[in-house]
Amino acid sequence: MPDLKIEATVNGRKVSKNVAPFARLLDFVRDDLNLTGTKEGCGAGECGTCSVFVDGVLVKSCLVPAAKAKGAKIETVEGLARSGELSVLQKAFHKTGASQCGYCIPGMVMAATAAIRSNPLVSDDEIKERLGGNICRCTGYSKIFEAVELARDVMNGARPATALQEEEVDEGQFIGANVRRLDAPSKVSGALRYAGDTVMPGMLHVAVLRSPHPHARIVSIDTSAAEALPGVEAVVTSADVPGVDGFGVFVHDQPVMAKGKVRYVGEAVAAVAAEDELTAKRAAALIKVVFEALPAIFDPDEAMKAGAPIVHDYAPDNVTKHIPIRKGDVEKALAECDLVIENTYETQQVEHAYLEPEAGLAWVDHDGVVTVLSPSQNITNHRHMLSRIIAKPINKVRFIMSPVGGGFGGKEDMIYQGMLALLAMKTGKPVRLVFTREESIATTAKRHPARIHYRSGFMRDGRLKAIALRMVSDGGAYGLSTEGVMRKAAILGAGPYDIQNLQVDTIGVYTNNTPSGAFRSFGALQTQFATETQMDIAAEKLGLDPFEIRRINMMRNGAITHTKQKLGSVSIGRVLDQLEKAAQWEKGAPAQRGDSRGDLGTDGARRACALDARFVEAPTKTMKSEVA
Amino acid sequence: MARKRGRGMAASWYGIARTATVDRAGAWVEIDDGGTAKVITGVTEIGEGILTVLAQIAAQEVGIRPEDVTIGDNDTARSPEAAHAGATRQTYMIGNVVALAARDARAKLDAVLAKEWNVDVGTIKAAGGEIWAEGTNHRIEMSEAVHLSKSRGVVPLGSGSFGTDTTGLAADDGAGRPWQAYVFGGQVAEVEVDTVTGEVQVLGIWAAHDVGRAVNPRGVEGQIEGGIVQAVGQALMEDYKTEKGQTTTPGFAKYILPTSLDVPKITSVIVEDPDPIGPLGVKGIGEPAMVPTIPAIMNAIYDAIGVRIMSLPATPEKVLSALREKRNRDEERARIVAE
Repeated sequence: MPDLKIEATVNGRKVSKNVAPFARLLDFVRDDLNLTGTKEGCGAGECGTCSVFVDGVLVKSCLVPAAKAKGAKIETVEGLARSGELSVLQKAFHKTGASQCGYCIPGMVMAATAAIRSNPLVSDDEIKERLGGNICRCTGYSKIFEAVELARDVMNGARPATALQEEEVDEGQFIGANVRRLDAPSKVSGALRYAGDTVMPGMLHVAVLRSPHPHARIVSIDTSAAEALPGVEAVVTSADVPGVDGFGVFVHDQPVMAKGKVRYVGEAVAAVAAEDELTAKRAAALIKVVFEALPAIFDPDEAMKAGAPIVHDYAPDNVTKHIPIRKGDVEKALAECDLVIENTYETQQVEHAYLEPEAGLAWVDHDGVVTVLSPSQNITNHRHMLSRIIAKPINKVRFIMSPVGGGFGGKEDMIYQGMLALLAMKTGKPVRLVFTREESIATTAKRHPARIHYRSGFMRDGRLKAIALRMVSDGGAYGLSTEGVMRKAAILGAGPYDIQNLQVDTIGVYTNNTPSGAFRSFGALQTQFATETQMDIAAEKLGLDPFEIRRINMMRNGAITHTKQKLGSVSIGRVLDQLEKAAQWEKGAPAQRGDSRGDLGTDGARRACALDARFVEAPTKTMKSEVA
Repeated sequence: MARKRGRGMAASWYGIARTATVDRAGAWVEIDDGGTAKVITGVTEIGEGILTVLAQIAAQEVGIRPEDVTIGDNDTARSPEAAHAGATRQTYMIGNVVALAARDARAKLDAVLAKEWNVDVGTIKAAGGEIWAEGTNHRIEMSEAVHLSKSRGVVPLGSGSFGTDTTGLAADDGAGRPWQAYVFGGQVAEVEVDTVTGEVQVLGIWAAHDVGRAVNPRGVEGQIEGGIVQAVGQALMEDYKTEKGQTTTPGFAKYILPTSLDVPKITSVIVEDPDPIGPLGVKGIGEPAMVPTIPAIMNAIYDAIGVRIMSLPATPEKVLSALREKRNRDEERARIVAE
């Protein structure tokens, strides 16, 4: 098919370009016009990072064919601050700290601009609704709402323009001051380039062939048809690894690409570098891999049973790591308790869902240094591992950390940088890989799911005497951060309480599921969820207020921790006091007293969403009558 | 009443920086021409606001303004090791080491000025772009001070290294010193549960967290708000699923995330119990922010409707099923009592 000629007005300037007939408006803006402030987050119209205006209407440019731009007026985030001065809304985002990683922010700014343009007196509730099609994973949205409300008020004169200025700081006392984020202007304007926005001269594009099987032996890989495709510069498999093929955070059990067998669906098997993305993808589809399916294991408890399929030969029991913590005599203490509470808790696998999908570039410098630029959360460790993998001295390997469009632990693993380095070395050219959202979700680490069996024993006065906690966690096909997650889950699991008798076991297990890895709160979230529910149950059964039972048991200054470390100052008492006061907590045991509570519906709670007419005024009255 | 409200709370604790191993970070600071400063350390922004935090710290320690600070790229071939961006270690490890390196650079500059002005080096102070000797009339712009230092053959250049006094865990009982700084937190959640649809809305979260010392309180709030909303996602809707190893939640149409309409109102209470070991007293907030949220929400659901959700997430289906079981139990009990 011949290219389409597109003439349009973009940010006030006439442009004329020939684009592929299947190109999306997003591709036209990013690839043909190099306006990379508009981001791709999902390619499916779900996340809003690609929002632009077409003839004044807010659209998700990943869903719009480029052909629709013919003769249209397009406005991208770069068009909002054309004069060089940020718009009022962008300044408001800067002032309130509404940008964190910044990847969703251009789209968010566009959606907020649309809200104010369509209704200069847009209500707080309508702002929330107008931003409902734009996902942000970092900010919790609160500072974004604050920014849009501020911009609205300044534009209406309800607040002075000085409200956008930085707060005054006392004589050089910057520590403790609300200094505006220095990176915010580059994020609200779309100027900041993430790895996937970066282009190098002569750059090749990479596509990855991935395993369709959870567990299979690789009988053969035939790359000849892929290599013969015009435009293809190189194909790599594990056979191209010159050094020791293994990476991981605690155990180097993962090859750069599957070696001998695949252990999960989505595992990389081969990678192609070609002159454009489409050719790379076509070539990847031409690689012929003969698999021989192996029995697979999907449940961690089943995986530890004798005779279960073995995921890694070095761990015949499929146990990645078991962390024990022991203190006192748990069984004796439980037998002496007035109240023993026994329960099983389950937490699920969770996706990081940063808006920036994984992306990276690699090239070989003029001085022979193999360089990888990517949003890696751990370039120090990656440099060590890559130097072994490609058998080069440390100072011939260079990692550059590009701005990370959300990490939360999910970008600590070196799951694609090795392939890029191999392709750069093989082709002698810069190479770039950008994951699709589907690739990112299916192939990268998740939060560890957990199954926690819990027994806690209390005396009648509320004193917590013993905890026995056993957590089994599915680490999936590779070790990644499983060992560290088990350790943190174990150390912190019993909570900030002074306990004499403790028996904690956290066990990470290999299966053929998507690997689990580092995720913000790293195991401590799973175990403390169980601990804090047990505490609430105990408070109910013993007729104690939930703050009170925690005060009875909390660590105090000089406490000895579960791992027998002596602490200095312990702030939990202060924290609980200030929390109770801020929440205006009404004392009482947790006994389904929601109906009769007197502390509901304060200024600290929002109104509940309801399925009635939207943007109707005077909701406060309804709320109070509901609560009463 | 189909819609029931309730409140619950939970406490939490967390360790700062790498776990059960020695953590370390390095940095260089140069007080540069024009009274600016270059900070070179292996770190860049993952969104938490670290670059602003480092600029604030460097500005205060050097005696200039945050906008006068340039932070170099995180590049293993160009900057000292600061190790990884995770483990709630950025403000603690990198913040402290940048302070140390800035103090080292200032010591070089102050020595030149003390000699030049013939004053005790301890009397030299700087803030907001000026440097002076207390109790004297000596007061100049930082740019002039840098020029003077260089004309005396001294580039005001400092370095720093910050390491933790920590150990691994014993293999048998786990004894050890995994961290040198701990933080504590607590949250209250207020929810509304629709007993017809099973849907839970989190209306309010009050979050109190010890952060040691807040370098940028608004940034701390941002971390707390973001952490809470991620936890709301895990509490109520997010669920990565596989069927024989193949994901059945391959995109955002199937993998449901919190949007602007799911967000509770959040009240942050910043508690400051300074770390006695590091030079700044700072600790951290990134990960601890989301630890107490889920149990606080689950305890609030119990307060509202009398069912304990022990398997996450608390989807409408699970809430309805738990309510049905509770109703059956209650009816059974009533029947026994009646008999």
